[in-house]
Amino acid sequence: MEGAREMSGALEGLRILDLSDGIAGPLGVLQLAEHGAEVIKVEPPGGLPGRNRPASRVYNRSRRSVVIDLKDARGRELFLELCGSADVLVEAFSSGTMAELGLAYEDLADRFPRLIYCSIPAWPTGTRYQQRPGYEALVHARTGQHWENTGFRAGPIFLHSPVASFGAMFLVPIGIMAALNARERTGKGQRVEVSLLQGVLSLTTQIWNWTDRGQFLLPKTHPPSVHQATIYECANGEWIHASTNAGVTPSRSEASILGIEDVSFAELMEMTPEQRAAYEETKRAAFLRHDRATLIEQYHEAGLGAEAIVAPHEHFAHPQLVATGSVVTVEDPQIGPTTQLGQTIFLERTPGTVTGPQPLLGAHTFEVLRALGHDDAELDALRARGTIEGPD
Amino acid sequence: MPGPLEGVRVIDFGQFLAGPFGPMLLADLGADVIKVEPTRGDGMRAHVVGSFMGCQRGKRDIAIDLKQPEGLEIARKLVATADMVHHNMTKGTADRLGVGYEHCRAVKPDILYCNNFMYGPIGPLSHLGGLDPIAQAASGIEWEQGPVAAGNPPLWYRYGHGDVAAAMPSVLALLIALYHRQRTGEGQSMWASLFHGSMLYTADVWIGPDGTSPERPTLDAQQLGLSALYRLYETSDGWLQLAAITEDHWRALCGVLGRHDLVDDPRFATCESRLANREELTKILEPIFMGDLAVNWRRALDAAGVPSEVSVDTWDGETVLFDDELMRLGIVTEYEHPLLGRVRQFGNLITFSDTPGKPQRAAPMLGQHTKEILAELGYDEATIEDYHSRGIVTWPSEGYAWPV
Repeated sequence: MEGAREMSGALEGLRILDLSDGIAGPLGVLQLAEHGAEVIKVEPPGGLPGRNRPASRVYNRSRRSVVIDLKDARGRELFLELCGSADVLVEAFSSGTMAELGLAYEDLADRFPRLIYCSIPAWPTGTRYQQRPGYEALVHARTGQHWENTGFRAGPIFLHSPVASFGAMFLVPIGIMAALNARERTGKGQRVEVSLLQGVLSLTTQIWNWTDRGQFLLPKTHPPSVHQATIYECANGEWIHASTNAGVTPSRSEASILGIEDVSFAELMEMTPEQRAAYEETKRAAFLRHDRATLIEQYHEAGLGAEAIVAPHEHFAHPQLVATGSVVTVEDPQIGPTTQLGQTIFLERTPGTVTGPQPLLGAHTFEVLRALGHDDAELDALRARGTIEGPD
Repeated sequence: MPGPLEGVRVIDFGQFLAGPFGPMLLADLGADVIKVEPTRGDGMRAHVVGSFMGCQRGKRDIAIDLKQPEGLEIARKLVATADMVHHNMTKGTADRLGVGYEHCRAVKPDILYCNNFMYGPIGPLSHLGGLDPIAQAASGIEWEQGPVAAGNPPLWYRYGHGDVAAAMPSVLALLIALYHRQRTGEGQSMWASLFHGSMLYTADVWIGPDGTSPERPTLDAQQLGLSALYRLYETSDGWLQLAAITEDHWRALCGVLGRHDLVDDPRFATCESRLANREELTKILEPIFMGDLAVNWRRALDAAGVPSEVSVDTWDGETVLFDDELMRLGIVTEYEHPLLGRVRQFGNLITFSDTPGKPQRAAPMLGQHTKEILAELGYDEATIEDYHSRGIVTWPSEGYAWPV
C-alpha cells in the first residue's frame, strides 16, 4: 500500500471489538486501529446499515470483519468468547439495545473485569430524554446548535457538518486510552460513555462560558477583519480565506499584495461605519481582480495566512497533506485503488499506518473464530444455520 | 474518586486555544497540569475572557520569563518532574527558547513531548503558524456550509473547529504514547496540527479509480437541511427539526400530516425519488408545518414514531448550562472564579464509571501558583522573592489588572 510506513504499532497487542455504526464509533476506533490496535468489526448478518454509505470505506478500514448474529443464543456465546480475548468493546446502539441482548456492561463486567466497555449513545444515560431518537440533527436541535452559527438570513441554520459526531469521534479514542491507562494502575476495566451531546459540548469551549459577571462570547455577528469577514471571492469565482495572522512577522502587508491603500486594524476600528464599508468595498473589488493561486503564493511568501476554500475532495492536492504522507492509496476490494486521508497524528517513535481497506462483510469470520479453537466442521454448521456469515 | 489520569503530570507551554485546550482535557481526566505562562500573560488572557476560561480551567499556573536563565532553569526543573510536555509554538520557537524536545529529553529521558502546529513541522508551509479559519477553509467544511455549490458564499463555523481539531488529537497522541511508555519505558516526541485534524471533518470523502468522488448530501441554499425529510421546518411558533430517515418514518409522517396520498405519489415513492424531488416535497410540507405549534408537531410525531425535536435557541448555552440533570451527571460543571464569581461550563466530556473525576478548579490567574510551585521545586523564600523582584517570575498582586 502506498503511503504506508513501517509498522511499529504503539498499541500492538490491544484487541478492540467494534460493534459501532455511524461516525463517532468507526472513525474514533480508526485512530486506534492505525496505531497498532487489532480491531475486529462485529457485524450482524447482512452487515451494518452504514456499510452502504460511501464514507464507510474510510471509517471502517484497517480492521477485520466478523459476522455473528447476536440475537441467536449460540451467536452470543461466540461473542462472549471474543470478549474474553478483547481489551475493549465499542458500541453505538440506541439506549437499551445491548441490555436486550444480555450484553450490557453490567452483564459483562464480572466475567471480564479488565474489559473497557465504550458506549456511544446520542443522549447521555440518566437524562430524561435518553430513549429519544438520536439522529445527529436532533442533537443539534435540542442543544441549540442551529442558533449558534449565523447564516445569511435570520433564524436557525442547519449544520452540514455532523458536529456532535465530530466531537465524539475525538473523545471516543481519548476515553478508551484514558481508561486503558487507568487499567494499568488499577488492573480494572470500566464503562466509558461518550454521548453525541457531550461531543457537541466539546465544541462550545469558546462560546458557552457563563459567569456571574455575564457571558463572554465570540460575537454571533461577523466583526470586520476576523473569521467570516475574511472570506473573499477572487477571480473566476474562486473563494479564499485570508485569515492573515500566521504567527510570524510578515515581510509585506496584505494591502500591498492586493494593491490597495494600507489601513491598520486600529485605523479600521476608528473609521465610521461608512468609511469602513467603503474600504471593505475597495478590498472586495481588489480580491475579485486577483487569481487565487497567485495570491495564496504571495501571502505565504510574505508570512501571511491564507487558504483556498475548496470542495472537500480538492484537499488531497494540498502540498502539506502530500508532504506529511497523509494522502494514501487504499486498494478497496470492491472498487480498486482509492485516494483517502491517511495519518492525522504523528508519533515519532511509533508512527501509525493504514493497515488495510474496509474488509468485505464477514471476510475474517472463519479466521477469527478458528483462532478461538473452533474447527471448520462446527463453523460450517453455524454458517448453515445463519449464526455466522463469511467465506471459508 | 480520581480521574483516569491520576498521577500524570503535564507541563503546558501553550497559548491561545489550539495549545491549551488539550492540556485542559488532560486536567479534566485527572492529570496534574501546570501552565507555564509568560510574565506578560497568555495572548488570549487580556482580550477573549470566555475563550480563555474555556481552555484553562483545572490547571495551576506559574508565570516565568523563559528568556532569563533562571527562568529557563525553573522550566526545565518542572519538565524533569513531568510525564508530558505540550504546546503550540510555531516551528523552531521552543528550540530557541530552550524548551524543545531535545532540551526536555535531556532532563527527562522518557518525556512525552507534543507540539501542535498549524500545518506540521515538515513541508513547504511548515514555518507558518495560523488560525482556525485556515483549517476550516482547507478541509472543505466552509465550502459545504455555504453551500457554495448552490451559489452562496462559504460559511465559517463559530466553534473554533480547527483549534479543537488540533487539541483533541494531540491528547490522543499523548495517551497512545503514554500506553507505549508503560510497556517499553520509551518516551517520544509527536505532533498534531489544526490542518490535519480538520481533515478528519471531511474524511468521508475519497477519490475512486475513475477520479471522481462519491456524491455527498448537499445543503440547500436556504441552509435548512440535507433533504425534504431531514430538515428544519418553520412552524407557527418556532422551528422543528424533522428526521424521517426510514421508509416507516416516511409513511408515518404522511399520516401525521394528513397526507396519506403522498405515500402513493410516484414522485415520492422511493428514498431516491424523494431526494430527486426534494424541492417539490419541501414545498408541499412547508405550509403544512406552518399550521401548528412546534411542540404539537413533536408530540404528534412522537406518537407516530417519527423522529423530531424542537430546534431551540439555548441563549448562548444558558439553558443547557443550567439543566439540573446535566449538572447532576457532571456533564455541566460549576465552580467559583475569584474575579468572575460562579462559572458554568461543560463538565465531563467523557463519563467514566470507575474513575469519574470532576473539573472544579477555575482558570488560573496569571502566576496564581508561582510561589507554591517554586516551593515544591525546592526554591527557598528568599530566592523566590529575589526572582520576583528581578521580573523572572510574577504572581497576582494588589491591583491585578487582568480581566481573568
